[in-house]
Amino acid sequence: MWKTASLLICFVLVLATLGVIMLASASAVQGESRYDNANHFLIRQAVWLALAGVGGFVAARIDYHRLKWIAVPLTVFVVLLLGMCLIPGVGLMINGSRRWLGLGWANFQPSELAKLSVVLFLAWWVKRNERRVTTVRDGVVIPMCVMGLVLGLIFLEPDFGTTMLIGVVGMSVLFLGGTRLSYLTLISAACLCLFALAVAHDPVRLRRFLAFLHPDRYAEREAFQLMQGIHAFVSGGPYGAGLGQGMQKQYYLPEAHTDFILPIIAEELGFGASIGVLALFLGIFICGIAIVLHAPDTFGRLLAFGITLTITLQALINVGVVTGCLPTKGLALPFISYGGSSLLMSGVMVGVLVNVALHAGGLISDDDTREIKDRLRSV
Amino acid sequence: MSERRQFVRLLMAIVVVLAAFGGLAFRVGQLHLDDNPELRATVAKTRRVEQQILVGRGRILDRRGAILAMDLTVYRLNADPQMILRDGLVEAYASLFARKLGLDRALVETRLRQPERRQVYLANELSEDDRQRLLELKLKHVWLEPVSARHYPQHNLASHVVGFSNTEGVGSAGVEQALDEVLRGVPGVRVSLQDGKRREMLDRRILEIPPQAGADVHLTIDINLQAMAEGALDQAVQQHRPLGAWAVIQDVRTGEILAMASRPDFDLNAYGRTPPERMRNCPAAYVHEPGSTFKIGVIAAGLNEGIIRPETVFDCENGLWMYRNRPLRDFHPYGRLTVADVLKKSSNIGAAKIALMLGDSRLERYLREFGIGRPTGVELPGEEGGIFRSRSQWDVLAPTRIAMGHSVGVTTLQMLGIMSAVGNHGFLMKPVVVKRVVDAKGRTVREFAPGVASRPIREDTARLMCALLAHATEEGGTGRRAAVPGYRVAGKTGTATKPGPGGYDENRNIASFVGVIPAEDPVLAIAVAVDEPQPEHTGGVVAAPVFRQIAQEAVRYLNIPPSETAEAGAPGDVPSDGPGAGDEEADHADWATL
Repeated sequence: MWKTASLLICFVLVLATLGVIMLASASAVQGESRYDNANHFLIRQAVWLALAGVGGFVAARIDYHRLKWIAVPLTVFVVLLLGMCLIPGVGLMINGSRRWLGLGWANFQPSELAKLSVVLFLAWWVKRNERRVTTVRDGVVIPMCVMGLVLGLIFLEPDFGTTMLIGVVGMSVLFLGGTRLSYLTLISAACLCLFALAVAHDPVRLRRFLAFLHPDRYAEREAFQLMQGIHAFVSGGPYGAGLGQGMQKQYYLPEAHTDFILPIIAEELGFGASIGVLALFLGIFICGIAIVLHAPDTFGRLLAFGITLTITLQALINVGVVTGCLPTKGLALPFISYGGSSLLMSGVMVGVLVNVALHAGGLISDDDTREIKDRLRSV
Repeated sequence: MSERRQFVRLLMAIVVVLAAFGGLAFRVGQLHLDDNPELRATVAKTRRVEQQILVGRGRILDRRGAILAMDLTVYRLNADPQMILRDGLVEAYASLFARKLGLDRALVETRLRQPERRQVYLANELSEDDRQRLLELKLKHVWLEPVSARHYPQHNLASHVVGFSNTEGVGSAGVEQALDEVLRGVPGVRVSLQDGKRREMLDRRILEIPPQAGADVHLTIDINLQAMAEGALDQAVQQHRPLGAWAVIQDVRTGEILAMASRPDFDLNAYGRTPPERMRNCPAAYVHEPGSTFKIGVIAAGLNEGIIRPETVFDCENGLWMYRNRPLRDFHPYGRLTVADVLKKSSNIGAAKIALMLGDSRLERYLREFGIGRPTGVELPGEEGGIFRSRSQWDVLAPTRIAMGHSVGVTTLQMLGIMSAVGNHGFLMKPVVVKRVVDAKGRTVREFAPGVASRPIREDTARLMCALLAHATEEGGTGRRAAVPGYRVAGKTGTATKPGPGGYDENRNIASFVGVIPAEDPVLAIAVAVDEPQPEHTGGVVAAPVFRQIAQEAVRYLNIPPSETAEAGAPGDVPSDGPGAGDEEADHADWATL
């Protein structure tokens, strides 16, 4: 699996490089106007990128089996952090959402950590109760309760995008782990209903949803970003306006450096670049699936699957939003969008994935794999 | 869970994700590569910003450079009714503005109670002082917008000539209207891209056409002469209580109008509150029957044709002449009068006989040469051409009536033209009020050179007419009240009864006087008309003194040397006054009973 891991790292590095270049272009206007420094976001992103590299390296060096021991403590820790976010005065309120914890020089988003912790917890749980996951208690009630607690807290922030993402990834992990399809379908339907109810009762989200359905009617406000995102793709055309020449970052797209960075890439570099970004994520997905297939054990397989799906789905949802296929959500484009916590956690997740790959290729041997190999040999 | 079933489940997940990838790739390709003409147009429209660069209007100045019209920067007070209503501050703002700016409280409140509007204006022309006071208050819901407003520093002076431009900056009267095109200038255009906050991006400018500032218009009007004319008119208005009164001073040699005054007048800065009838520029726009002043043209024609001489004698029929069974009267009966005396004493019968001698064809030709029946072409809007029917429509009595200035409609400007032509060696000059147009860079872009409209009479005829007309202002002439001490004045009085329902109304007259000064070498031609003076109504009593007042001040102001003696410089053998002929038309009306 050495080649797969290398390829995966390559894809990630290409994306990150493209991300830094485009961030330099996309964030200059906002940085200049908000902080009097065109490089404000670029410098921070570079620091976070370095941290993410370190995080990924460390994660790749830690035997992923040891992560079993931190699955529960990490989940508890995440629940605590998410709880803190909701306490006024402790959690930072930005744009009407309490998603951040202040760390002095930077803000941290616990829901990013939650993505990893939920995957880790579910992988650990399914592995621990391997044969009993088909039962209601072990396959549905307990994992769903834990997931529901985390998701509920994220939902209250509110951060519907991340809730949705973690929910879908969690369900998929359970699905692959062996939970009965009928239970999952039932629960998914129930969750969707709850979700729809919540959206209907939140005027902001409801308008966003309606704006998604009728962009022209809400073009002035709710659908403004959506329309501007589409405009960026259209005005980019096949060849793009040229690096730095984009117009949409000039206050047309308010989140040009975060969630809506792909339209900037599309406008400035054209069709090739946007398809290229999609292709790179597809590459990451394929590498991830390859690792899943070769994972030495159920825990590794589920972990790799959950991580691959988290990264890929997040990218897909982001692309879907900026191209007007999905209602607006606050989800970043992994490795490219500005955002420290997201970048750091993405790095760590890739690290874990690489570690699984290395184990799968037999490049690292330890007690667990030896045990499996022995068993295989005895069979 | 078997490995196989898990593999199937994994496969299902992979298929879903791959489908999502495919769909998004298709969507991205569609957005990038399709034509999307509508979206492209929307994008281009959103980004493009087109600004008009407005320029100030040019100034209007008199011939010496005194400013008659100029642009000032004033401020328009705007407010945001939606926000004010939301904050419940309507009454507070209304009372504040009523107190500070003297605005109408109720009006402000009405304007502010429009919840759907985000911008209304509350006051249009706030001065710099008002602006400072408002800025000190630091109000949240209102803002000031600088606009340029037209200001007329001389207020009423020459109001009919200068005219005004309306709030949209379009010239709507006077020279402001006539030369609107050059005064207005050409606004520039700036096309560039704008950012999402609708601010122009200076580094993405596509096109810039610089504006062309409005040009200054220099008038031929001299504000001092204008003030003299207006002062004299004001006195006459006070004395005679007429409906209106007007006077024009023209430079005989060039045709330049030095002053053109009309009563009633108005303050140009308050044109919006002025009834339109006060805005009429009577000298150019009021058509009336001229009366006796018209005899100048008829007699000049006779002299020019050589059919009469100054000493030619006419039988004036003792005041009543039956021509074709219709009576023609002189109010004061005369026996035999020379042509010179016909002019001096203003005999209708004498003038009628001269007209008949001339014949219709020559009479019409001469009068048309004198500019009757067509506008003079002065650069003022609303100029009338008068009424002068062509010969084919005349009845048999027409020449006798035309001879005494009836059956024909003229403007005072046309009458002044005849008088000027007599004073200018027979050349009829085109009257002008605009001397030149100077653009913002100081280059003269248009110069109005004196122009000869026609030459109705020879030089010797003109000299002769001057000499004859000079007698009219001597003792015994109808215009003796027009005499200016030390100067010889050539001129003619006129008293025209105005037509009313059921024929001419003796009690309603237009009293007029046209004349040139000095008679031996005319410099200025001045016309005065007073509409329905009461109770005195003749040109000799009402208009001639106005002429004298204007002329007296004007010659002093212009340093025109006095005539050497009252007799000197009078050419030709002019018959002396007949005894007992010192009476003038003061007691008469030279109207015709028809």
